[in-house]
Amino acid sequence: MKYLKQLAIVFLFCLAGESISFFLPFTFPSTIISLLLMLVCLLCNVIKEDTIKDVSDFLLMNMAFFFIPAGVEIIEHFALIRSILIPFILIAIVSTIAVMLVSAGAVALALKAERRFRK
Amino acid sequence: MMKALFSSPLFAIALSVFAYMAGLWLNRKTHLALFNPLLVAYVIVISFLIVFSIPLEWYEKGGSFIDLFLAPATTVLALTIYRQRSIVRQHLLAVFAGTIAGSIASMGFIWVLSRILNLPEDIAFSLLPKSITTPLAIAVSNSIGGIQAVTVLAVIITGITGNILAPIVFRLFRIKDEIVQGISIGTASHAVGTSKALELGEIQGALSSVAMAISGIITVIVATVVFPA
Repeated sequence: MKYLKQLAIVFLFCLAGESISFFLPFTFPSTIISLLLMLVCLLCNVIKEDTIKDVSDFLLMNMAFFFIPAGVEIIEHFALIRSILIPFILIAIVSTIAVMLVSAGAVALALKAERRFRK
Repeated sequence: MMKALFSSPLFAIALSVFAYMAGLWLNRKTHLALFNPLLVAYVIVISFLIVFSIPLEWYEKGGSFIDLFLAPATTVLALTIYRQRSIVRQHLLAVFAGTIAGSIASMGFIWVLSRILNLPEDIAFSLLPKSITTPLAIAVSNSIGGIQAVTVLAVIITGITGNILAPIVFRLFRIKDEIVQGISIGTASHAVGTSKALELGEIQGALSSVAMAISGIITVIVATVVFPA
């Protein structure tokens, strides 16, 4: 029962996100609305961590499993992927390294600024 | 007979679970980032469907049940951020500087590189959210006109790249600070990179997981503003 109740609460957040996204004047992914909604509710003590803890940990721990069908659809795009495979992989790898360096640089600058400010 | 069996939703769910278990097992045995559990699961499921010539629609009868959990799995990322709230408060400026700069740089690089290499627009849109965690990347891809399966593939390649190359990049560029390491791994390579960050240290792991979630949210917001559907 505990799990069903927790699952129902998580689903309620998803439904709330979907309803809000429906009324927004622009397109915005409903799942992010429900995420932000849940975060605000947790931070403001509207819900407690225990209320959703077990089901959330189950979802977080097995997260990757839920993406299998979304990725298997790649079967339908094999020809497309094959035609752009090398630039595709190149962009994926090069941009990952570049982003890591930009992010590291920004954090280093922020830390330096913070230390100077504290002095 | 074959149809009755393979077109049952239970078949797709069972196949996916076993494929994922095999992926987890292989990853644990070999400790190789290349044997990413999700990647292994894909290869197994796709090979199975091809070998037994099972149409994708049959698989999707069960697949759609699994898809149903994408939204809840995304929503509970809130708990990941909530649990790290004290470390975020402690390094507020660093976390936001690293995730905002990284997310914008990621989309900028991808856009420019896709133009230079002349990739079709739908592929470029599919690549744009590739540095963030899969459920958020799928949401972005769908809302800006990408192909979700291509996005998932790009996200996996990104995660594996970050996981393998992060220690090398840190050594090469003499990045030793734990805070810098944690935030940059999470921003560049989401959950798969975070598993490497956890190996580097506790602070790196905590900051990487929170950077993953926050850069994901920033990317969603920036992408939907810059590329409205």
